[in-house]
Amino acid sequence: MHERLSFHIQRDSFLHRLNPLTKLVLTLTLILLAFTFPWYWTPHLLVLIAVIPLSLLGKVFREFMLTALRLIIPAAGFLFLMQAFFQPIGTDIIFQFYFLDMTSESVLFAFRNAMRIVVMVSAFTLFLLTTHPSELMSDLTRRGLPGQFAYVIISTLQILPQIMAKAQTIISAQRSRGLDTESSFLKRAGSLIPLIGPLVFGSLVEVEERAIAIEARGFTSKHVKTSLHEIPDPTFDKSLRWVLLILIIISIGLNLWLS
Amino acid sequence: MKIEINNLRFTYPTGLEALKGISLTINPGEQVAIVGQNGAGKTTLVRHFNGLLKPTSGAVSIGEWETTKYSTAKLASRVGYVFQNPDEQLFSRDVLTEVSFGPKNLGYEKSKVDELVKRAMALTELHDKTDTNPYDLSPTWRKMVALASIIAMDTPIIIFDEPTTGQDAVNVGRIANVIAELKREGKTVITITHDIDFCAENFERIIALAKGQVLLDGSARDILGQEEILAQTYVDPPQLTRLGKMLGLKEIVTRPEEFLKAIL
Repeated sequence: MHERLSFHIQRDSFLHRLNPLTKLVLTLTLILLAFTFPWYWTPHLLVLIAVIPLSLLGKVFREFMLTALRLIIPAAGFLFLMQAFFQPIGTDIIFQFYFLDMTSESVLFAFRNAMRIVVMVSAFTLFLLTTHPSELMSDLTRRGLPGQFAYVIISTLQILPQIMAKAQTIISAQRSRGLDTESSFLKRAGSLIPLIGPLVFGSLVEVEERAIAIEARGFTSKHVKTSLHEIPDPTFDKSLRWVLLILIIISIGLNLWLS
Repeated sequence: MKIEINNLRFTYPTGLEALKGISLTINPGEQVAIVGQNGAGKTTLVRHFNGLLKPTSGAVSIGEWETTKYSTAKLASRVGYVFQNPDEQLFSRDVLTEVSFGPKNLGYEKSKVDELVKRAMALTELHDKTDTNPYDLSPTWRKMVALASIIAMDTPIIIFDEPTTGQDAVNVGRIANVIAELKREGKTVITITHDIDFCAENFERIIALAKGQVLLDGSARDILGQEEILAQTYVDPPQLTRLGKMLGLKEIVTRPEEFLKAIL
């Protein structure tokens, strides 16, 4: 009955075991390389030699492909068509649709941009599939990320399913009082107030209670907090992050130098 | 109005089988308490009575209406359901509007709505609070507003989901009065409760559920004496019943007056 908001899938794999920060840096590296490395085929190659192998390594290939088919490819395809038709570059017209021209230059341009989007979205998808949000947040908080920021991210993921469950109960309660939520549009529009009222009130009250509850556990305390759940950060992760950082610097450097 | 449940099974979309073949008949005017551990299927069962849930297999009929054929909004004219948390249903600016919401939805004439609302407010002792915003009332009074808002619908069957949870003794007394009055009017009252003393003092029939099945069903006296079977669903008999048993009383006592009669 409960919707899942987090993409995370618990499996035991190399990618799951990496420190969350390492995975975040890896994701950003893939995206930055796709956007800045001054070679036309970079994003295409990254999908082949990095994104797909990583999904296999993380044992989430099937879930990754499902997301790709349902979300990434349609979005990138749409972007490709828009840019191929509307990008006013090039003279070598290869296809015409009424007043819209597709030139070989605009197709190449659109293809690369679409692939960049593919890399960006799929790298993030992989990251979300293999990283538990609260693990990421506790790791980042330990490294100095303000607790308030982590709270905003985590609470959003946790509160939304709760609000949806609450909304469901309210709908049930009002239908039990004869509220018609299933007939004509006008009737349904009129039935919004009895549903939204308790939802908003209740959610506000819950926010306050939550604030009190976390404050009772020293949320704004300035002292260093210990964590029940230690997230390992071995030397391998640290070295990997440096390598990735150097790759980013080289890529951006080359980009600036060549332009 | 008679409630007939025939081999009711219900499985949630998650695959959890909450009800595993329940058959019951609840006659008009009966006062029934449903007890059992958390997850026994109490709420799942009563949500079938007003069509919030539809059977996976089997059937539930309210009078001659089979619940699969009617919407909850329709069934609301026969079955009133007071949810556990009043905050999940109160939305009006004043108590009067809140209590009138249900009867208006049922399409009664204005004069009848006014009369029903007045009666429900009197029964729940809310008459001096008609213009108050429900959210300015204490949680115990908000509970009474929720009760009144269902009673005003004048349904032959009324369901209370844990009415006494979090209520003080005075308000538990008020709720008991409401139930007694509904009984006098010949209404069927079905209550889910963990408050076994409340159960012993106000209900004639008790149904104990365990793991989606009926464990015990019978008169309060018969059921509350069966300590070992009740323990299977984590229900303790009332303190008086246990005390009576320890004192070696011949019969099973559930209410103070019976206890006094037995020891004097």
